[in-house]
Amino acid sequence: MTSKQLSPEIEARIEALRPRFPVEHADKAMCIPVLTMAQEQFGHVDEEVCTLVATALNLPPAHVLGVATFYTMYNNKPVGRFHLQICTNIGRQILGAYDVWAQCKRRLGVGNHGTTEDDNITLSEVECIAACGYGPVAQIAERLKPDIPLYFENLDAERMTKILDALEEGRVPTELGS
Amino acid sequence: MGYFDVKIISEHFDVPEAKSLDYYESKGGYRMARQATKTAPAEIHAEVKKSNLRGRGGAGFPTGIKWGFVPKDSETVYLVVNADESEPGTFKDRHILFWNPHALIEGMIVAARSLGVRSAYIYIRGEMLREAPIVQDAIDQAYAKGYLGERCFGSDMHLDITLYRGAGAYICGEETALLSSLEGGRGWPRLKPPFPAVKGLWGKPTIVNNVETIANLPWILEHGGQAFADLGVGRSGGLRVVSVGGHINKPGVYELPLTVTGNQLIEEVCGGMRGGRKVKAVIPGGVSMPVLTPGELDVPFEFDALQTDERIAEVEVSPGVAFDLGGGKTLRTMAGSGGVIVMDEQTDMVSAAWRIVHFFAEESCGQCTPCREGTGWLAAVVKRIDQKQGRPGDVDLVASIADGIAGNTICALGDAAAWPTLAFLTKYRGEFEAKIKSSNYKPRATRENKAS
Ligand SMILES: Cc1cc2nc3c(=O)[nH]c(=O)nc-3n(C[C@H](O)[C@H](O)[C@H](O)COP(=O)(O)O)c2cc1C
Ligand code: SF4
Ligand code: FES
Repeated sequence: MTSKQLSPEIEARIEALRPRFPVEHADKAMCIPVLTMAQEQFGHVDEEVCTLVATALNLPPAHVLGVATFYTMYNNKPVGRFHLQICTNIGRQILGAYDVWAQCKRRLGVGNHGTTEDDNITLSEVECIAACGYGPVAQIAERLKPDIPLYFENLDAERMTKILDALEEGRVPTELGS
Repeated sequence: MGYFDVKIISEHFDVPEAKSLDYYESKGGYRMARQATKTAPAEIHAEVKKSNLRGRGGAGFPTGIKWGFVPKDSETVYLVVNADESEPGTFKDRHILFWNPHALIEGMIVAARSLGVRSAYIYIRGEMLREAPIVQDAIDQAYAKGYLGERCFGSDMHLDITLYRGAGAYICGEETALLSSLEGGRGWPRLKPPFPAVKGLWGKPTIVNNVETIANLPWILEHGGQAFADLGVGRSGGLRVVSVGGHINKPGVYELPLTVTGNQLIEEVCGGMRGGRKVKAVIPGGVSMPVLTPGELDVPFEFDALQTDERIAEVEVSPGVAFDLGGGKTLRTMAGSGGVIVMDEQTDMVSAAWRIVHFFAEESCGQCTPCREGTGWLAAVVKRIDQKQGRPGDVDLVASIADGIAGNTICALGDAAAWPTLAFLTKYRGEFEAKIKSSNYKPRATRENKAS
């Protein structure tokens, strides 16, 4: 038995989205958008959440689970209140991204995809996020909050310290984003 | 000077209100979309063909020819804009989406009219958290004005545009993987042929074009295909939006003539090298593309020149043996996605190569054995060379793994991993060998060794 339920708001969004696709293909085509909505609601997408999405869209649960595990933006287990994601790909590697990455791991005491003991911050290494010009870069997500439409660019030890300080105080340092 | 005289897409970049429909219209925007609704589809197609517009997503395929592959009298044709930009080093589409979303929408109306499309999609990278709401706003504004919907500009043309957000997977930038994803599945590429233009989204003819490709269309319609062709060189029309990152003073996104060379790009456009250091290597079009040495930077960063100019060395499988691209062709480099990465003399080329192959190993979708196994193996061997654990013969091993991937896979991700690897070995082999020479690797003693 599952105790979770998709919010009525999501049910409404599904119906609004449906006419955007050919009738016979709509259920399947909505799998990714609805998984994204479910992650907004629950903070992660595990088997139970996949089953909810499968039921809402009349899809086999195995299909939804296969999709959820294919895409990297779906967290398969709960993440901390803040999800700090840092690009270490080539554009940033040559500008010192691994120093910033090591600094975060050290200070938070976690590895890749690790969450601090107080459940506050999850740290992830990500691939290029199309901001390669401007020094090491991060994106931050806050659980159950709308996406934060900011890039945190030109990261060095000092800026990273400020970001980590803010997250530990329980707020997103939007003043450092662009 | 001189490089900035004409701009097609980027003229209003950095103007805060540029993304609003009112601003866009005040600068003449949407006139061409309105005109397109009253123009014969074949006439638009003829201008696009004449323009020599080539795809800006990576392959540089002529757009007008691609459109011509859609079977005549198709009942349903889809248009899908590839806004998945995830080729490391590339961030130009993100700027277009952020600063000029209406140029994309207007271009889509022009394309849809020519192709007979009623339903179009923009597949945007899931990670573009900042850009997705901006594009959605722009779409909503265009609907509110009656530019989209059942009667575009009051005509009998019906066009819906839907923004579809991906969820994190580099491979979804490959057009058939993108379609698999848009249909609601894993982003698995499909064998071509059939090409999407014949059998694409839900089995229907589908044109997949890059953001920048489409955003050029209003200008082409306004000034004529010939004018666009004249802006370019040879078989490549128009300008090119490039993103430049790495060790230069002024990283950023620039819209430039196709005649600009690598050296001009660095010195005149990007303010030279940081700290006055020397250039060591330049990746011309996203990490999939073979790297260039300082001696190869006098070649214009244009599709054909980068592929054929003899001042650029051929990529080799082993010293003296050119890599076979198929059909007797050899590989120099390609203009790719327009993502330029400049590396200075202090860059460790082995580490850089490792980060690139590591990326492809992470992003392989796993469908084909040569790609799945080969990229993982490449990353492991390059990593051990980088970490001073390399073994004698490792350089040849890396080359033979890469050569075994290239050309043997469903999609071009396999090539995208193999080509840059071979290019690094061809041009910076000494650095790999030096690391192996100073390697700390000790072969484990075998029984025979012990006995003797
Ligand atoms: C592995 C791989 C990744 C790709 N990623 C992108 C991408 O992010 N954006 C893009 O426009 N094209 C990408 N492409 C190219 C597309 O497959 C396709 O050629 C392109 O979108 C067609 O549009 P165009 O003709 O306007 O360039 C990629 C290709 C491969 C093989
Ligand atoms: S080449 Fe690689 S990414 Fe492309 S289909 Fe095969 S396994 Fe997947
Ligand atoms: S390489 Fe990190 S954002 Fe592009």
